[in-house]
Amino acid sequence: MSPGPTHARRRSVKRTLTGYLFLSPALVFYLVFLVVPIAMSLYISFRDWNMLVPMTGSRFVGLKNYTYLLTRDELFVIAVKNTIIYATGTVFVGMALALGIAILLLRVRGATFWRFVMFAPVVTPSVAVARIWGGLYRPAEGLANAILRMVHLPPQQWLADPNICLYSIILIAVWAGIGATVIVFTAGLKGIPEVYYDAAKLDGAGPWGEFRHITVPMLRPTILFLSVTGLIGAWQAFDLIFMLAVGGTEAGTSPVRSVIVLALYLYQMAFKNLRMGRACAGAFLLFLIVLGISFLVLRVLRKGGVESYE
Amino acid sequence: MRRCAVLVVCFCLLLGLVATTGSVAAAKTKLVWQVHWSDFQVEGVYKGEGADRKLVSKGLRQYVEEYMKLHPEVEVEIQSVPMEEYLQKVLVARSSGVAPDIYGIYSLWGVQLVQNGILDAPPAAVVKDVHENYTPVSVTGATIDGKIWGIPMEVGNYCLVYNKDLLKKKGFTAPPKTWKELVDMASKLTVRDKSGVITQYGFAFLAGWESAVVHPYLGLLWDVGGEFLSPDFKKCVVNSAEGVQALEAELQLFKTGGTDPAGSVWTFPQEKVAMMIMASWYEQSLRQGLGDKYDKVVGVAPVPYIRKPVNAGYTWFLAVDSASKQKKAAWDLLTWLTAEVQKPKNTTRLGDLMVETIGSLPCRGIDLANHPDTLNDLYTKTFVEQLKNAKPEPNVAQGAEIKTILANEIVEAWHGRKSAKQALDDATNKIDEILAEFY
Amino acid sequence: MSEPLALPRVPAMRKELEPGEGGKSAARQRGRRRRRVLGKLLLHASVLLIGLAMFLPFFWILSASVMTYEEVTAIPPRWVPSTPQWGNYGAVLRDPNVPLLKYFKNSFIVSTAVTLAVLLTSSLAGYALAKLKFPGRDAIFTFTLSTMMFPVFLFLIPVYYILKRFPLLGGNDVLGMGGTGALQSYAALIVPFVVSAWGVFLMRQFMMTIPDELIDAARIDGASDLGIFSMVVMPLVKPALATLAIFTFIGQWNYFLWPMIVTTSAPHLMTVPVGLRLMGTAYSTAVNMNKLLAATVMAIAPSVCVFLALQRYYVKGFVLSGFK
Repeated sequence: MSPGPTHARRRSVKRTLTGYLFLSPALVFYLVFLVVPIAMSLYISFRDWNMLVPMTGSRFVGLKNYTYLLTRDELFVIAVKNTIIYATGTVFVGMALALGIAILLLRVRGATFWRFVMFAPVVTPSVAVARIWGGLYRPAEGLANAILRMVHLPPQQWLADPNICLYSIILIAVWAGIGATVIVFTAGLKGIPEVYYDAAKLDGAGPWGEFRHITVPMLRPTILFLSVTGLIGAWQAFDLIFMLAVGGTEAGTSPVRSVIVLALYLYQMAFKNLRMGRACAGAFLLFLIVLGISFLVLRVLRKGGVESYE
Repeated sequence: MRRCAVLVVCFCLLLGLVATTGSVAAAKTKLVWQVHWSDFQVEGVYKGEGADRKLVSKGLRQYVEEYMKLHPEVEVEIQSVPMEEYLQKVLVARSSGVAPDIYGIYSLWGVQLVQNGILDAPPAAVVKDVHENYTPVSVTGATIDGKIWGIPMEVGNYCLVYNKDLLKKKGFTAPPKTWKELVDMASKLTVRDKSGVITQYGFAFLAGWESAVVHPYLGLLWDVGGEFLSPDFKKCVVNSAEGVQALEAELQLFKTGGTDPAGSVWTFPQEKVAMMIMASWYEQSLRQGLGDKYDKVVGVAPVPYIRKPVNAGYTWFLAVDSASKQKKAAWDLLTWLTAEVQKPKNTTRLGDLMVETIGSLPCRGIDLANHPDTLNDLYTKTFVEQLKNAKPEPNVAQGAEIKTILANEIVEAWHGRKSAKQALDDATNKIDEILAEFY
Repeated sequence: MSEPLALPRVPAMRKELEPGEGGKSAARQRGRRRRRVLGKLLLHASVLLIGLAMFLPFFWILSASVMTYEEVTAIPPRWVPSTPQWGNYGAVLRDPNVPLLKYFKNSFIVSTAVTLAVLLTSSLAGYALAKLKFPGRDAIFTFTLSTMMFPVFLFLIPVYYILKRFPLLGGNDVLGMGGTGALQSYAALIVPFVVSAWGVFLMRQFMMTIPDELIDAARIDGASDLGIFSMVVMPLVKPALATLAIFTFIGQWNYFLWPMIVTTSAPHLMTVPVGLRLMGTAYSTAVNMNKLLAATVMAIAPSVCVFLALQRYYVKGFVLSGFK
C-alpha cells in the first residue's frame, strides 16, 4: 500500500470524526428528546392508556384510536374545521395586513419607533395578551365595544357569541403576531432594487401595477417563508385559546365547540379525559396535516419561478 | 476565545446550580397536601393593613402550623391547585413520582382514581368514624363501589343567591319561589344600554365552568322527575321528556331576555347580577367583593322549582395516596383534623375551617349542629336547610369527560344553536358510548 | 439570490410619446402636487391609526393597572383613573400568596441557562454543518429543519417520563430508577430546550457567509478545528449570537405550556407566565382585577424592556431567518 491513499483516508476519517464531535450535543439531544419521544408517542398511540397505570400495563388496541378520531369523533372534526379557519385567518389575513403596513411604514419617518409599536405585542407573554384582551372584550365594561359605540356600530359579545368568538381570537392573534410579519416584509421590500420601480414608472405603471408586477413577485420567497412557518405555527396554536376558552375571562366564556382547535383538543383528550392513546394518535394526525400543508404551500407558491431564487 | 471560555464557564456554573438544587435532603416526615383551595382559604382571612393586619379566621395554613407545633417531626407542605386543573395535576404528579400524600378529591373523580388504585384504603377506625358520624349525603359521596375511600370534607349544594337591593328597586320584596316567577322576574330585572348590551343581568349562569352549567340543570332535571343516568350506569337517560322539559325551562330565561350566555356569576359582587344559582362556598368572595354593603345586598333563598324543590349536591373527601410513603402520618393528621372534638364548642377543626373560612357546609354531624352562629347567618342558613333537598351527583367512571359533554351540549342550547331535544340527544349518544366502555 | 424575477417588460419610453402641451401640463402638475399632499396626509393618518390600534391594548392595561376596582369594572368603561392608584403594584408585590419575585427569579434562571446552552450547541452544530464536509451532514441538516414541523404534543408526555428517568439526578441511580430524576429541579425546564433547531439553522446560515479562505488559511497555520471555531469563526458571528441570545431569552421567558406541565408537580419552579395564570384563579378576578392587571404589567415589562434595548439584534433575527 502506498502512503498516499491511507493518509487521505485517515484525513477523511478525522474530518468525519471532527464533524460529528461538533454535532454531538445536538445529535445526543435529537436522540433523547426527539427520536425516543416520537417512538414512545407512536407506541402510546396504539394503546388505551390513562396515565394512572404504568404505560406498559395498558391495553393494545391497534388502530382503534386513529379510526375513532377519523370516523366517530365529532369534536375532532370540529377541531380540524376550527383550526383551518384559525390558521387561514391568522396567517393570510395577517400577511395581507402586514404587507400593507410594511409598505406604509417605509414611507414615513421614525422607523425605530414604529417598529417598537408594531413589535411590542410579539414579545408580550401570551398569558398577558389573553388577560389584556379579556378585559378589552368585556361586553359592557370593555373598550372594544366603547369604540364600536363611538363610531355607531353595534356592540358585540366578542368572546361569548359562538358565531364570532373564533374571529375575535384570530383578531387577538393577528395583533400579537403582526409585528414579526411586518418586519420580515420590510426587509423583503428593502431588498427590491429601486431600478425595477423606476423602470415600471417609465413603463407607466400606476401604484397598483407596481404592486402587482414588481412587489408581489419579488416578495414571493418572503411570502413562501412566512406562509410555511406561519401555518406550521398556527396549526399548533394553543396558549391563547386555552386561556380564553378554558375557565373563561372577565369577558365571558367562549363555547368550547366554537373555538376548540386541534392543540386544545389534544390537551383536553390527554389531561381531562385521560385518554393518552387517543391524544397521541391525534398528535400524529396533526403532524401529517402540517406536513401535507407545508408541501402544498411550497408547491403552490413555487410555481411562478421561485426556484430561480434559491 | 476568552469570551467563549467565559460562556463555557457560565454554562458549567449553571449546570452545577441545576444539579445541586435537585436534591434537598428531608430529615422530617414530609407530607404534601394538594388542595383545590386558594388565597384566603389557605392563608386565612385578615382584616386591616400593615401593623393593624389581624387574622380574623384561620385558613388551612394555620391549622397545619398548629399540627406541626404539636408534632415537630412532621412537616406539611400545602400545594394549591386551581380546581379545573386538579385532576390533571394528580396524574402528572403521580407519574412524576412525587405524588402528594393527601388529596381533596371531588367525588366525581373518585371512581377512576379508585379503579386504578390511586387511593389508599382508609384504616378501619376512619371508616367506622365516617359511617357513624357523618351526614348521609356526604357518606354517599365518599362511597365508591360500596366502600368508603376517604373522609368527607365538604358538601356543596345550591341555592338562589339574589341582590336584595336590585330586587327592591324594581319593587320585588321577596325572591321567586317557582321557576315561572324566576323567569318573569329575571326579564324585569335585566337592564340593557341603548345598544342592547346587558349591563345588569336579571339572572346569570356561567358558561365557562362545567359544574356551573351542569349542576343547576341536574337540579331542575330531578325537580321534574327526570334522571341523568340509569341506576346501573349502562345508559344515559337525560334525553327523556323530563330532561327536555328541564332544559327548556332554562331556555325560557334566555328567550324572555332574562339572561344571555355572556353572563357570569362572578360579576355578582359588582352588583351587575340580580339573581344566580350558586353554591355555599362563594360567601367569602361575596363578603370581600361587597365589603360593607354585604348585609344590605345579599339574600339567599331555595332554588326556584317547577314541581318539587331539589338541588344538586356534591362532595369532596380527604384521601391518601396509595403510593405515599407516609400513609400513617397522613391519616394521623387527617384524624386529628377531622375527628378530634374540641371544647367548648364541640366541633372539629376541619368543621371550623369549613364553616368559618371556606364557607362550605361541613359533613360531620356535630359540626353542622354546633356552629349555630355562622351556619345560621343570612348566607349559609338556607344552604343548610336545603341539604335535605340535595341529591348527590352520580359517581360515574370517566365522570369528568361525561360532565364536559353534557355541559357543552347545554351551552349549545343556551346559544340557540341546537334545540333542547337535539342537544340532549347528542349528549346521550356520546355519553352512552363512553358508558359502554366501562359498564 | 442570483437572478431577478421576470420583470415587466419596458418597451418604449412612453414619456417621449406624450404630447407636450405647456398649459395643460402646468395644471396637471398642480393637480399632481395637490394629490401628493393629499396622499401624504392620508399616509400619515393611516399610519397613525394603525399605531393607535396597536398601542391601545397596552394603553388600557397601563391605565387600568392603576385604577381602583370600581373604576376597572365601571359601566360605561373609563379610559383613565381619576387618581392613579400606584399602590396596586405594591399590594401585589407584598402579597405573600403570589410570590411574584420568586417567579421572576425562576424565569430568569431558566431563560438564562437555556440561552447560554443554545448559543453553545447552535454554534457548534452550525459550524459543523456550514464549514466541515463529512458524510451524513446534509441529512442531519434536513432533519434539523424538519423537526420544526413536529407538534409539541408528541413530546409532552414522553419527555416528562425521560426526565423522570434522568440518571443520577433527584435520587435516581445510574439506570435512572428510584427517584424523581430531573423533574424537581430547574433541569426539567432547561434540558428539553438546550438545542434549538432554529438556532442551529440560524448559525449555519450565518457561518456559510464566512469565506472558506479564512478558515483554510488558519488551517494551514496549523490551527485545529476547535481553534478555528473559537478564534476565527466565533468572533465573526457575534451579531448572529446576539440575535440568537435575545430571541431565545424572550422565547423562554414567555413560554407557557411546558412550564405549566412541569410545575404541576414542582410548584417551587413556577415561572412568570404560569404564575400569572395561577394568580388569575387564586385572586378571584371579580374583586381583584386591578391588582391582577398590575401584576400583568410587571410580567410584560422584562421582555418588552429587553426588546426595547436590543431591538436591532432581535429584528435582525427575524430577517435572517426569512432568507436562505
